[in-house]
Amino acid sequence: MSTQHQKLERHSLGFAMAILMVASIGGIVEIAPLFTIENTVEKVEGMRPYTPLELAGRDIYVREGCYACHSQMIRTLRSDIERYGHYSLAAESMYDHPFQWGSKRTGPDLARIGGKYSDAWHVAHLEAPRDLVEGSIMPGYAFLSETRLATGHLPASLKALSRAGVPYTDTQIENAEKDAAWQADAEQYFEGELQASYGENVQVRDYDGQPGRLTEMDALVAYLQVLGTLADLDSLNLEEVQR
Amino acid sequence: MSMKEKDPVSGTDLTGHEWDGIKELDTPVPWAARWALWISIIIAALYWVFYPSFPSVRDYAKGMLGYSSRAEVATALQQADASREMTFAPFASGDIDKLAADPTLEARYSASISKLYADNCAACHRNDLKGQVGFPNLVDRHWLWSGTPEEIEATIRYGINAQHDDTRIAQMLAFGADGMIENQQVEEVTEFVLFLSGQQHDATAAEAGKLVFEENCAACHGDDGRGGYEIGAPDLGDESWIYGGDRDAIYHSIHFGRRGVMPAWDGRLSDAQIRMLTLYLLWNAEDVPS
Repeated sequence: MSTQHQKLERHSLGFAMAILMVASIGGIVEIAPLFTIENTVEKVEGMRPYTPLELAGRDIYVREGCYACHSQMIRTLRSDIERYGHYSLAAESMYDHPFQWGSKRTGPDLARIGGKYSDAWHVAHLEAPRDLVEGSIMPGYAFLSETRLATGHLPASLKALSRAGVPYTDTQIENAEKDAAWQADAEQYFEGELQASYGENVQVRDYDGQPGRLTEMDALVAYLQVLGTLADLDSLNLEEVQR
Repeated sequence: MSMKEKDPVSGTDLTGHEWDGIKELDTPVPWAARWALWISIIIAALYWVFYPSFPSVRDYAKGMLGYSSRAEVATALQQADASREMTFAPFASGDIDKLAADPTLEARYSASISKLYADNCAACHRNDLKGQVGFPNLVDRHWLWSGTPEEIEATIRYGINAQHDDTRIAQMLAFGADGMIENQQVEEVTEFVLFLSGQQHDATAAEAGKLVFEENCAACHGDDGRGGYEIGAPDLGDESWIYGGDRDAIYHSIHFGRRGVMPAWDGRLSDAQIRMLTLYLLWNAEDVPS
């Protein structure tokens, strides 16, 4: 009774090496594609990190578990594209940590929801979904309009993301709290400053219909209204991104 | 390899393991399962060869078939566009007036356009096209920017107060909240608007409100309060209200202002689709204007 395997089992060092070799295959399969991430993420104009207000909205989106019912990934299928728009690009979630892709949709995909409806619609719909959409099973989030947005943690959030590779500058991290309040300012006094800091495609306005109050609704609607609108799809070289 | 010990009863090989005198049969898995496994492995290997698979340092193995899901869906979309072009051929014409005058289109296309409406418009204007608080009724023949086909088309394409360079812009100022008129004047002009729309009102206050109206509101809504299509100012004398026509709602509109948004559909919907939706609204307009 001495098969090859039995021989191997009796050499502890050799056996340990063999285990290490086999186990590392799994690691290589997962890690190796990351070496080519530069080639995976498409080159497209317009992508920028989330502004602090949008990021706060994203945190609320995650906190409330929106991802459990809504994906943010338009697949390369005709049916998806006809309904939701151009298929999602890797570049469009390169600043998402974690990304909000998904394969289960109880509600519609939200990857390109930005600009499809008005702020007032989003607010009314989040407060009482069935008032606007017959037969909807989405829960209401009326408390978001009543809850003051906590901004104290935003500099730390930006800093954490910058460590994960999101290119926030020190000034942006430092001004995160102020920037969040500025973006929801109905008078749009600081639109110029925000656009100079983050880019031309920053939308500054009062999102929740309550000028003078910075609520969680402001943040969530600001986040929803930016989804899928950043990447300038006309700047995409379709030949180059065929895969 | 030593000779396997056999089970004397069944003649099957034994594994050689023994527990308290009990030995284990080394029964092979059924041949069908074994073959299925090997065939799967072969198919997987073929996939590696024919389809995109392993990453390399700068690129990835593209496979012999040169398959790309993005190229495939682009072709599928082109085919879909081509077949739609045939099915919806009449809407390729840019002359919306001519289309609106064609009585044969409604019966043929209304059902398919209703899906397009449901997917994009119904969330605000509802499936029956009658709107809801904050979102105008589309079939009552009361328009903000006139109900001619070209103007409806322009509203859908560019939106109102939307994120588009050519969007229509209209705003009801916050006369009360921003201190342009006194609170008492807000109340008076509210009574005047109630009078304009033929509702119960306080005649004395309405009389005072008339002056306030002429000074502050008539520039957009007109001296008679019947609105103006050029600036999207609503007619205050009809029974159609976007934000409600009772005393409280009117007061709220005058005090806090309004700035409704219609998103711009340019880019999201094709020209033909925008034309279809324009016609869909016209077809569904209620028969008798009041």
